[in-house]
Amino acid sequence: MEESGLGSNEVDRLFAMVAERYGARLTPAQLEDVRKGIEAVVTGARALRAVKLANSDEPMQPFVPFRAD
Amino acid sequence: MSDEPVFVPLRRLGGMIRAGAVSPVQLAETFLHRLETLGPRYNAVVTLTRERAMDQARRAERELAAGRDLGPLHGIPYGAKDLLATSGGIPTSWGAAPLKDQRFDEDATVIRKLEAAGAVLCAKLAMVELAGGMGYRQPHASFTGPGINPWNLDAWSGGSSSGSGSAVSAGLVPFAIGSETWGSILGPAGYCGIAGLRPSYGRVSRHGAMALCWTLDKLGPIALTADDCGIVLDAIAGPDAADSTTTAQPFHYAGGDAAPRRFRFGVLENVRAGCDEAVRANFEASLEVLRRIGTVEEVRLPDLPWEFITRTILHVEAGSAFEELIESGAIAGLTAPEDHYTAYARDAILAKDYMKALRLRRVMAREADAVLSRYDALVAPGRPSVAPPLDRDFRSALGGSAPDVMGAVGNGAGLPAVIVPNGFGDRGLPTSLQLMGRAWEENTILAAARAYQSLTDWHHRHPRLERG
Repeated sequence: MEESGLGSNEVDRLFAMVAERYGARLTPAQLEDVRKGIEAVVTGARALRAVKLANSDEPMQPFVPFRAD
Repeated sequence: MSDEPVFVPLRRLGGMIRAGAVSPVQLAETFLHRLETLGPRYNAVVTLTRERAMDQARRAERELAAGRDLGPLHGIPYGAKDLLATSGGIPTSWGAAPLKDQRFDEDATVIRKLEAAGAVLCAKLAMVELAGGMGYRQPHASFTGPGINPWNLDAWSGGSSSGSGSAVSAGLVPFAIGSETWGSILGPAGYCGIAGLRPSYGRVSRHGAMALCWTLDKLGPIALTADDCGIVLDAIAGPDAADSTTTAQPFHYAGGDAAPRRFRFGVLENVRAGCDEAVRANFEASLEVLRRIGTVEEVRLPDLPWEFITRTILHVEAGSAFEELIESGAIAGLTAPEDHYTAYARDAILAKDYMKALRLRRVMAREADAVLSRYDALVAPGRPSVAPPLDRDFRSALGGSAPDVMGAVGNGAGLPAVIVPNGFGDRGLPTSLQLMGRAWEENTILAAARAYQSLTDWHHRHPRLERG
């Protein structure tokens, strides 16, 4: 992964958050794999963020108001 | 091939029952015996449902003798991926060691529909633990052992519907039910040299099925031929009040002897990227066959991060669906070492990025439909390689970089696809061809796949079971 500037900081910060939550139950090797997973997450997120959408581009959620009767 | 009614497509098997050549009870006994004796060779079976099978088979025999014919699946044995709930004390393990004794009080809707069609449930079939949702990277990811490919015992059967693929390929059941979130029907069917159908999202009720990803999960058939897949889909499709995502659009399989027609096929540019040499060669040969029944054009999709869109949705929803297992650390009890911790990284996916993926999914659906509206199907190699070896990280075995735009778009946009065998590659393993259609166009892609299979004989080839 290309790591520089904001991307690297983002990986570090997200990794710190995940390590704080789960680090106590993981070995150093597992933690290193988790870090690689977070690098992949950030790579994907940056690809998604790079696509411009219009304000009107909404998700395809099938949410409908509910009433029981 | 022996005199046993094995490797017989469903129409012919049904004809044999009605002609008195074989009875439902004899069929059940035959396939229960094969599941029991050959199933362990492929790690294909979790639970043999002998008592239920024999009850259903005897009932089918009585009904048919009384002239009450429930249709083409009446008296036909099948197996169900072990993520479909079954009542009567039959365990439903989801492939996961911590859940291997899990039981439910009711049948999944698909199981109920197949019972109503007279089909005979003979086994709960093996699967990758939690349908692969925890990020497994190699075949040893189920408490029943790695799925083993009947064509080569050193190769994987694919996942996550591992047992559904190997059981049909080895003639342990005439058909099986699998599930696909991303690749879990098409993968095992392709690796094992048989047919598989991923229906449109919402075509088949998922009530009673393990949820991996609510907006991506689909259930569908794995069988010997595309025609068999259509017959099974006809029985399991339809609206269900218990699954709000099911469509009200009816589905009736338009199989049989329809008049020959011409098809329009599209091939996405770069769809051959990362494919093995044999896969490419067999795909080009398949295109030559398709040109006999239609036109073939190269097409392109806009350059968007298709795989990241679908992967982000999958990882977030799977993280939520299995929140308790992950947060509690119970995933450490899973079989694959990487499944013990890989999911933790998904906590790092930000809500706004997940929402961006959901918004981009609409763009994906629109762009895919704009392309597909000009064709009956987009066609592509079913898998970029033959089945990887059992002892290898399959991402490495695939080169780690073969893109899967067809899988990302097909699953992300909820589009139907059918996969059929199209030749053989390295180590005597099958290669495959996939055909993906517009939403709700299962009949169109099945017609095209049937036409392809009418001109080829790959679906008539079966593994020699003594082969090692």
